[in-house]
Amino acid sequence: MGLSLIWYLKEFARTEWIKKFLFAKTAPLVTPSHFRGFPEPTGKTCQHALFCMMACPAPGAIEVVHAGDGWMPRIHKGHCIRCGLCVEACPNGVLKSGRILETMEREGTSLLFSFRIAIDLELCTGCGNCCTACPVNKGIDAQMGAGGHSSNDEVIMRVQEGDIVVIHEDKCTGCKTCEVSCPTGAIRIARILEGYQQPVQEGSQ
Amino acid sequence: MTLLQRIKNMVRARSIHVAYVDVGSCNGCDIEVLACLAPRYDIEQYGIFVHNNPREADVLLVIGAYTPGWEEKLAMVWEKIPDPKAAVAIGNCPISGCLFNRRGSFVDPPVKKHIPIAAEVPGCPPRPTEILQAILSVRDSVFANWEESHP
Repeated sequence: MGLSLIWYLKEFARTEWIKKFLFAKTAPLVTPSHFRGFPEPTGKTCQHALFCMMACPAPGAIEVVHAGDGWMPRIHKGHCIRCGLCVEACPNGVLKSGRILETMEREGTSLLFSFRIAIDLELCTGCGNCCTACPVNKGIDAQMGAGGHSSNDEVIMRVQEGDIVVIHEDKCTGCKTCEVSCPTGAIRIARILEGYQQPVQEGSQ
Repeated sequence: MTLLQRIKNMVRARSIHVAYVDVGSCNGCDIEVLACLAPRYDIEQYGIFVHNNPREADVLLVIGAYTPGWEEKLAMVWEKIPDPKAAVAIGNCPISGCLFNRRGSFVDPPVKKHIPIAAEVPGCPPRPTEILQAILSVRDSVFANWEESHP
């Protein structure tokens, strides 16, 4: 009994043991900078294209809110899954996450949004609600009346002789305001997201 | 708080037992909790011991979006844990339901409604470092004032 006690004291008195016990080193909990975190603002101005919200696969993870004079995307933790699609989809590079932006620049990739307007002429009554509700139409032809008639050829769509006519599909921003305002559900907007990579120049590789 | 109590609290906070319960997740967060046990993150170097026994646990990790099968059962698990205790929600699912919380789905998040949650770790899945940091930040508050409030 007495001997083992002495043995224990001797064992604990070893400098090597004391050093290990007091200064045991644990690996620091650091996240490497190239890991994708929650998207952060880069400082560029948000142009309110809302492509981040359209590309986001998680419900309620990102919304573009008023910030001072302009707009700013806000990430909701607890909803965001850190996929980085908003970073890729933003045409202005407002957000950053890990090295997504650097990779996109190096490889010449981008996510392109385009919008198609589909109108079911069987259901359409030609009321012109969609033409008047459209915010792009309003910007182009502020004089457009309740019937959706317009003499301006630059509008996205207008009512001609009782029928809806889509003139400039490419100006659509995909806000779907027309869908909400349509009383018969005749108009549908398709948001098309496609990945694009710039062709590599001959002899550059 | 006497010095003895302080020392006791400090020692207790450096030796905690963790139980985890999966209330309907996709197993992504379970894998990240598993990664905490692996040598790279090595949760046991912080004195955290994971074994799935609520009777011995101090901290409960809740993973998943709370499916109907867990009605009452999660509260049962929570009641089995002796005081002092804390629950940590791991991942987006217990916080918001995230991808599973859609129209027509039967999940019932957040888990906060069913048992008290001390800390939430967002992410889909959260990184092992984030899970570790959450457990480490919770462990001090679990035993704080415990001796005083329960003489």
